[in-house]
Amino acid sequence: MVELLFEDIFTVSRVDPDGKKFDKVSRIEARSEQFDMYMQLDVNNELYPLLVGEKFTMVLASTLNLDGTPDSGYFMQGQKKSLADNFEYVMHGKLYKISEESAAGGTNVKVEIYVSFGGLLMLLKGDPSNAANFELDQRLFLLMRKV
Amino acid sequence: MNQGAEKLRCTKEPYIEVNGHQRIESIRFSVHSGDDIRKQAEVQVWKNVIYDVNIKPAPDGLLDLRMGPPNRNFTCATCHGNFTECPGHFGWLKLTLPVFNVGYFNSILNILKCICKACGRILLLESERRIFLKTMRKPRADPTQKDHLLKKIRQKCGSECLHCGYKNGVVKKLGSSLTIVEDFTRKIDGSMHEFRSALSHLKDGASFQLIHVLRPLKVLALFKRMLDQDCELLNLNDRPEKLIITDIAVPPSPIRPSVIMDAGMSMENDITIILKGIVNTNSILREDLEGAAPLFKCLECWDLLQVQVAEYINSEAPCVPDNKNRGLIQRLKGKQGRFRGNLSGKRVEFTGRTVISPDPNLKITEVAIPTVMAQILTYPERVYRHNIEKLRQCVRNGRFKYPGANFAVLSSGSTMDLKFEGRKNVANDLKYGDIVQRHLEDGDVVLFNRQPSLHRMSLMCHRARIMPWKTLRFNESVCNPYNADFDGDEMNLHVPQTEEARTEALTLMGVQNNLCTPKNGEILVASTQDFLTSSFLITRKDAFYDRASFALLCSYMGDGMESIDLPAPALIKPVELWTGKQLFNVLVRPNASTRVFLNLTVKEKCFSKPQNLSETMCPRDGFVYFRNSELICGQLGKATLGNGSKDGLFSVLLRDYNAYAAASCMGRLAKLSARWIGNHGFSIGIDDVQPGERLIQQNKRTIDDGNRECLDFIAKYNKGELTLETGCDAAQTLELKIHDVLNKIRSAAGNVCMNELHWRNSPLIMSQCGSKGSPINISQMIALVGQQSVGGRRAPNGFIDRALPHFPINSKTPSAKGFVANSFYTGLTATEFFFHTMAGREGLVDTAVKTAETGYMSRRLVKGMEDISLHYDLTVRDASGAIAQFLYGDDGLDPAKMEGKEGSPLNFDQLYMKVMATCPHRENDSLSPAEILQTLDKRFSRCDMAPEGGCSSEFKQKLSDFIQKRIVTLQQTRQALQLDENPAINKGCCKRETISTRISGISAKQLEVFLETCISRYYLKKLEAGAAIGVIGAQSIGEPGTQMTLKTFHFAGVASMNITLGVPRIKEIINAAKNISTPVIKTQLLSSSEALSARIVKGCLEKTTLGEVSKCIKIVLKPSQTYISVVLDMERIESLQMRISSESVRFAILNHPRIGLKPEHVITMSSHKLKISMPLVHKDQLFPLHSMNTLLPKVIVKGISTVKRAVIKKDKELYSLFVEGTNYLAVMGTPGVDASKTTTNHVIEVCQTLGIEAARQTIINEIKFTMDGHGMSIDIRHMKLLADLMTYKGEVLGMTRFGLTKMKNSVLMLASFEKTSEHLFNGAYSGRDDHIEGVSERIIMGIPMQLGTGILKVRQRVQDLTELKYGPDPIIS
Repeated sequence: MVELLFEDIFTVSRVDPDGKKFDKVSRIEARSEQFDMYMQLDVNNELYPLLVGEKFTMVLASTLNLDGTPDSGYFMQGQKKSLADNFEYVMHGKLYKISEESAAGGTNVKVEIYVSFGGLLMLLKGDPSNAANFELDQRLFLLMRKV
Repeated sequence: MNQGAEKLRCTKEPYIEVNGHQRIESIRFSVHSGDDIRKQAEVQVWKNVIYDVNIKPAPDGLLDLRMGPPNRNFTCATCHGNFTECPGHFGWLKLTLPVFNVGYFNSILNILKCICKACGRILLLESERRIFLKTMRKPRADPTQKDHLLKKIRQKCGSECLHCGYKNGVVKKLGSSLTIVEDFTRKIDGSMHEFRSALSHLKDGASFQLIHVLRPLKVLALFKRMLDQDCELLNLNDRPEKLIITDIAVPPSPIRPSVIMDAGMSMENDITIILKGIVNTNSILREDLEGAAPLFKCLECWDLLQVQVAEYINSEAPCVPDNKNRGLIQRLKGKQGRFRGNLSGKRVEFTGRTVISPDPNLKITEVAIPTVMAQILTYPERVYRHNIEKLRQCVRNGRFKYPGANFAVLSSGSTMDLKFEGRKNVANDLKYGDIVQRHLEDGDVVLFNRQPSLHRMSLMCHRARIMPWKTLRFNESVCNPYNADFDGDEMNLHVPQTEEARTEALTLMGVQNNLCTPKNGEILVASTQDFLTSSFLITRKDAFYDRASFALLCSYMGDGMESIDLPAPALIKPVELWTGKQLFNVLVRPNASTRVFLNLTVKEKCFSKPQNLSETMCPRDGFVYFRNSELICGQLGKATLGNGSKDGLFSVLLRDYNAYAAASCMGRLAKLSARWIGNHGFSIGIDDVQPGERLIQQNKRTIDDGNRECLDFIAKYNKGELTLETGCDAAQTLELKIHDVLNKIRSAAGNVCMNELHWRNSPLIMSQCGSKGSPINISQMIALVGQQSVGGRRAPNGFIDRALPHFPINSKTPSAKGFVANSFYTGLTATEFFFHTMAGREGLVDTAVKTAETGYMSRRLVKGMEDISLHYDLTVRDASGAIAQFLYGDDGLDPAKMEGKEGSPLNFDQLYMKVMATCPHRENDSLSPAEILQTLDKRFSRCDMAPEGGCSSEFKQKLSDFIQKRIVTLQQTRQALQLDENPAINKGCCKRETISTRISGISAKQLEVFLETCISRYYLKKLEAGAAIGVIGAQSIGEPGTQMTLKTFHFAGVASMNITLGVPRIKEIINAAKNISTPVIKTQLLSSSEALSARIVKGCLEKTTLGEVSKCIKIVLKPSQTYISVVLDMERIESLQMRISSESVRFAILNHPRIGLKPEHVITMSSHKLKISMPLVHKDQLFPLHSMNTLLPKVIVKGISTVKRAVIKKDKELYSLFVEGTNYLAVMGTPGVDASKTTTNHVIEVCQTLGIEAARQTIINEIKFTMDGHGMSIDIRHMKLLADLMTYKGEVLGMTRFGLTKMKNSVLMLASFEKTSEHLFNGAYSGRDDHIEGVSERIIMGIPMQLGTGILKVRQRVQDLTELKYGPDPIIS
């Protein structure tokens, strides 16, 4: 079975916090219910429009293969059954940075995880315990489904 | 041993140094005597007829065939060669009476000044003579010292001869004519009257003359009587009589060819014409002398001969009445003269020149050569087994079919022209070893050049690519080094003709080996213009491509020939989409077998740091981050792909991998972008510059606000309420403020445009990605043109008190002084247009003037530094071996290879990032801070990190500082995650531990790799021996000069103080000018926090005249006495803290050089009153009193006379002073000034005050400051070298003709620089030896120079090789 690295339900709190810079891509800000994670994500709003207040499930996985075989890193032809079948919006990218929160935190420091999906960036900020599954240069799939 | 051994055969004989006895060791300059001339000559010329009746050169005439053929129609009568073969032979012409040689005229004059005109002995005491002779004979003395000594001797020479007692007169030149006279007027004594009265009874008493003319005949006799020792004393190498011409060498006819015109006329060369005149005059003079003509007629004729001989040598001499003929000196002098035009630079074969055009499909290293050109340019290829078929085909094709050949040189020695029939036979008979001059083909090595060749990248080596059509084409990425564009530029092409030359060209001058400029290590060959625009558009965040278009784009970059690994799409669902950034992943690393792992971060122009987040999350996507050849984020622009940066994509590829990686990536990018933008389309139209409604309104508001602000200032100024800026008067303050406001308007309008325009606006895109144009350009098109300035000020008054008659008098409003509120789109009003032309003209004039000025500056710099090179012992020496630096730039590193900022060898941050990314962590193998330090110390203790091992301590320090910084971050991370210092204790699988490792941990392997890379790369950056760093330095300083625009600089905080910058300032520094236009002394105060002390010191420095501090200076006329009373204004003095009392004023008056009063005449009445009376020598008291009265107010009572003013600068409650003016010493000595922190920008003054080392540092600092002021970074090593060269003789020598003569002692080099004839004559006079060591001399003599690849002198002694014996030694030997 696929081992999901992270799964949670997010609520969109803001769209394009710094103003709209790009036509087809907007940056959403969202907060999760279960782990209280903060997320910034670049989404292709032409294909998958997200509005403020909408809720969605987001899953991070290291492979789309249902049997859990690791991803090859290259695109495979053929319509196999995959994890993506249950989701509406799927992106593929690479984790490029892990850091502690830039601001001088108090007792409960947060850890930031940065992922780039071919230039569409994701920032996931939250408790260090959630970050243990992630490592640098990891290939990740981001899967989203509106709730 | 084996005499018949085959010599290595080359297509062209390589330069092989002939061993021992045949080498030209030196050239000695000396004077030709009449005897020498006669011995060399083949024929005596005396006839003034040139051609006889049959139009044949007359025997004994000027074109006698024994001197060689004068044109193609004749053959030489001496050697029987034709016009091309015969080198020519000299003739000689006997002068009836001797004449002076113009070139030596001053030398003759100087000798005559030193010798007795009766007996020819030197006019010195015997003891003095001996001392001088001893010093003159010192073998070590260089020419400058000897010249100095000679001057001293000349001064010491008396007038009365100690040997014969003859009283000498003063020797001088008579006007501009070539006459030397001995003047006795000054020597009149008592006997004169007596003598005159004795003669008075004679009728013709006037015949007694005080001025004797020293005619050449007499001088010759005098010179002949001179002792050899005296000659030596006068630094004469030879007998002085040689300085006077008795015979003329008639130059061979081939160098003065005669052109026969039809109808039996002939055009003669200038030299022949002049010589004909001489022959004529000479024969007339002889006849006159023989026929006893009157004396005056003979003298007249002699004078004419003198003038004609002078014209022969130097037709521009002042004594020559009309100089329409070119004399011998004119042939040597100047740019087109023999030295600069024919000896230092020669015409070459195998060259081509046409218009250039761009071709992005070519590789960076290629140049497309049109077939027509390739058919003329050939390469001699030797036939061997593998190319014989190809060459046979070439020979068969012949001259007029492209892959053909022009000539075939057979091994028998005959050359076959392949123009004609019979090529087939030649082709069939082709044998191994024959040489075929075949047409250029793909892959041939060519040199490519564009003038002006300001730096070494203006001449680079490319690979040929033969293409149709008629232009030379190359990749646009290579425009930058040549500074070429395609608006009709032409470029030159040269084809090296030997394998040796090809190899050397390819390795030293190849484009791929010259990607970086040695000026500062920035990349020069990089993407430009369209490539940047398309990269910028492709990498936009919202650029998505489906499978078909992505695959198409991938095939663009490699011509569809490269294997490409298609990456997984970034968007998988709902549709598969790839982003533009992924296209760049492919571009950098097309497939898995390409082992390129690019890691870099760059901040693009539009970068703005997001709050509390990593820089990568920049909302405008302005932070470029490549991680392991994957573009994580960022929109690529000029900072990443363009030239002029050190941490861009191509620089990093070049440093981390190799030139090939960078060049091929550049080529892929060029192809991709050119094709992509061809499909996408990118153009600019009128709608791009039409402002929208909002833009118009916002602009109107900014302009109105600015206008109002200016009007407020003007109103305040008119009322006199303006608060003054430091060191300015009201008008200046107003100008400053208005200028400020108006400049702000334009930049504000620019910002509005940048924010308001749609992202698809073409000008906006171009300015954002850096391909062309700036925000100012956009705002000028769309919003407003802005303030026009002429000479750094607003438009000047062309009419009385106003700029144009359209405005009221004295109007200072923005629009009246050249503020253009319209944009180029809306159109300018008439007055605005006029102001715009004023500014435009200034720009044009400026560029025109500057090119000439910087060109000359570069030439001087190069001439002065051309022979400086690095030697094997790491010292920097000139050609004669004099050391300029012990270690180049204090670390011996190559400026072209510097990666870090400010010329530091490595960019540790980037390297660290790369190591961390390419060499990932294993699980929990992070080192503790203590362990890191331990590893570092261990590595540092190895010998290659010690100064003896060649590692500079600066580098070591920087490396250890960097590691310290990493340790601090590690500690911070651990602290933040609430972990204790040492990870070794709880090496369990604590989650936080893992995370901290991933955030900032270093593993042992990573640290090792990092340190090893740093150190090994440091050693790779060492400069190679033989590098011609002198020329590189000169070019690096000269080339930026062309880009500098006229600009003065304001000191931060002190608005009124301007400093000359730009080319004029660089010129001042390099010339070592005695008077500079803005000398400024920067001082620190001892008590820098007090404003009062600053003001006191200012009072001490600024000159205060008596008039400024006195209430009244008046003349008092009383019956008893007359005097001037001075009353000091004590209130004013007190308020300004000047500490002036009547006593100090008295002292100042007494010390004034022009007043000259004695102490008793100036009496202090009280502390603020003085009484000045006049000495009673004059009967009339009134006039001196009045003149004194006008003089007194100008007496400087306090301060330094050379100081114009001093301005206090306040910087964070700390006061310092800027002193405008000179006299560094006095400023340092002023009480209250911290002398140890006082600096000046006047190099010469620093040298006089602090010494030569301080002057050197000042030169470095000043050049650096000037270059930085223009935003140009130049490696400090170049400036150090220049400064060392200017100071290594112990005095500051400018890079001018005066400084260079003191720096260099090669006559040929100096002659090829400036004042050609003077240096040659001086060299001949003192018998100078030229050892032919420097670059100029070697070029002139045609010998390879001793730098670069010529530094090697490898010799192998073949005979001495011991023969190896196999088997046992013989038992009996």
